[in-house]
Amino acid sequence: MSSSLFHTLNISRQDILSHMLDLDVTSSNLANVNTAGYKTARSNFQEMLNAQLKEGTQMRATQALTMQGSLRTSASSLDWAIQGDGYFGVTLPDGTLGYTRDGQFALDADNTLVTASGYPVVWDGEITEGMTNVNVNSTGTVTATDADGATAEVGTIQLTRFPNPGGLTDNGKNILLESDASGAAQAGDPGSENIGTLSSFKVENSNIDLAQEMTRLISLQRTISMSLKAFQQTDTMISEAINLRKA
Amino acid sequence: MIKGLYSAVSAMVMNAARQQVISHNIANIQTPGFKQILTTAQDFMQNQSVYTNGNLQANQVEYVGTLGLGTQIGEEFIDYGQGAMQSTNNPLDFALQGNGFFTVKTPDGNRYTRDGRFMRDADNTLVTVDGFQVLDDAGQPIELPDGEVSITADGAISVNGAAVATFGIGVFADPEAELQHTEGNLFTGPTASSGEDIPQVVQGYLESSNTNISQLMTQLVEVGRSYEAAQKLVQNQDELLGKTIASLGRIG
Repeated sequence: MSSSLFHTLNISRQDILSHMLDLDVTSSNLANVNTAGYKTARSNFQEMLNAQLKEGTQMRATQALTMQGSLRTSASSLDWAIQGDGYFGVTLPDGTLGYTRDGQFALDADNTLVTASGYPVVWDGEITEGMTNVNVNSTGTVTATDADGATAEVGTIQLTRFPNPGGLTDNGKNILLESDASGAAQAGDPGSENIGTLSSFKVENSNIDLAQEMTRLISLQRTISMSLKAFQQTDTMISEAINLRKA
Repeated sequence: MIKGLYSAVSAMVMNAARQQVISHNIANIQTPGFKQILTTAQDFMQNQSVYTNGNLQANQVEYVGTLGLGTQIGEEFIDYGQGAMQSTNNPLDFALQGNGFFTVKTPDGNRYTRDGRFMRDADNTLVTVDGFQVLDDAGQPIELPDGEVSITADGAISVNGAAVATFGIGVFADPEAELQHTEGNLFTGPTASSGEDIPQVVQGYLESSNTNISQLMTQLVEVGRSYEAAQKLVQNQDELLGKTIASLGRIG
């Protein structure tokens, strides 16, 4: 059996590297504890063992845990929250379709419905000058009050779901992209099966469990310091082997 | 004296091998379903030791017992003990409480694992984090329609209340003897279960790695110091050998 100390050193190196990556993931979770619609990211470690050769661990992938976040009431009728599996569609500057759970929308100078980052929201309808009180009901019907005080339907919005939402690619700014892992996007009306329902004056909180993330941070620090111990000791052992012959 | 030199070196080699296993265990402290690897050290070889009184003519040899010629790393064992349950609230995380394994399909054949980090793939099939299909009790992949997944303690899965499949769970009376650790977190063994008590399947939990941190730390210190001691012994033997060669043969 091969037991090169340099290979052992490499096990610990790989180990420290993967856990540093997890530290990044956990830090990002903690930083987004107040980001609307944010989903906890998890690092998935896997043992590496090939033909009985032990190679420690590696980070296989990060996975978004897409459990529903709690909803909080807000003061804006343009704060729309999803209760269920769906995602809002947004058009990115390069024309591609992105998806988000963050429904803190606003109207820009051209009365276009946009996300907090200014990306147009995909929906079917139009809001004209002077309209206020833009609302959505649970099944996606958008209503607004015009300058004369009359409230009427101005359009509808659909939501999109994925077989494996945890596999969506993170594009930053709370925008996700369809990927091979997520499966094909399936659009549907809010209120239909497995899509979820909508509500106005609501914001979906980040689904991060602060206590769990803090615990993770602590255990991660301990794990890394232990891996460092193993690394240092292997190094000492190599040095002892080198100094076998007394000068 | 040469024998002693090699004995001491054998202790260094053995401890270097143990260091590798310990580092591997430490690397997998955070790997769900990981079962720690235990090492054993054993006697390398015994030799009969004889004593001569120095009088070559008399040719008297006395047997004074046996002399060990060092140590070597013995067989590795897997500790199949239950790991702690960790709550994740993720509906597609599963843990087994009790003896038993989920069955997964890899390109090299069916394997057993305690790692219950599952997810739907793009085709709604239940897969592991490595992308291997999770198998049901009939050895078929599990296809999960859209909807809310729930399970019963004996592993029957339903989606939106409708029964879909039952986890194929392998139970082995003596996993130590029947299973082999092949790839990462996977074990290979006989197709048929030999055990009877089906473990409880728990949803929204993962089984943590069963590595024991304080034990690992102790082993780490033990290996480090044993290696150091063995190294000192080699140096001592070498020094003695040097003295023997330099002074014993000197005349006058």
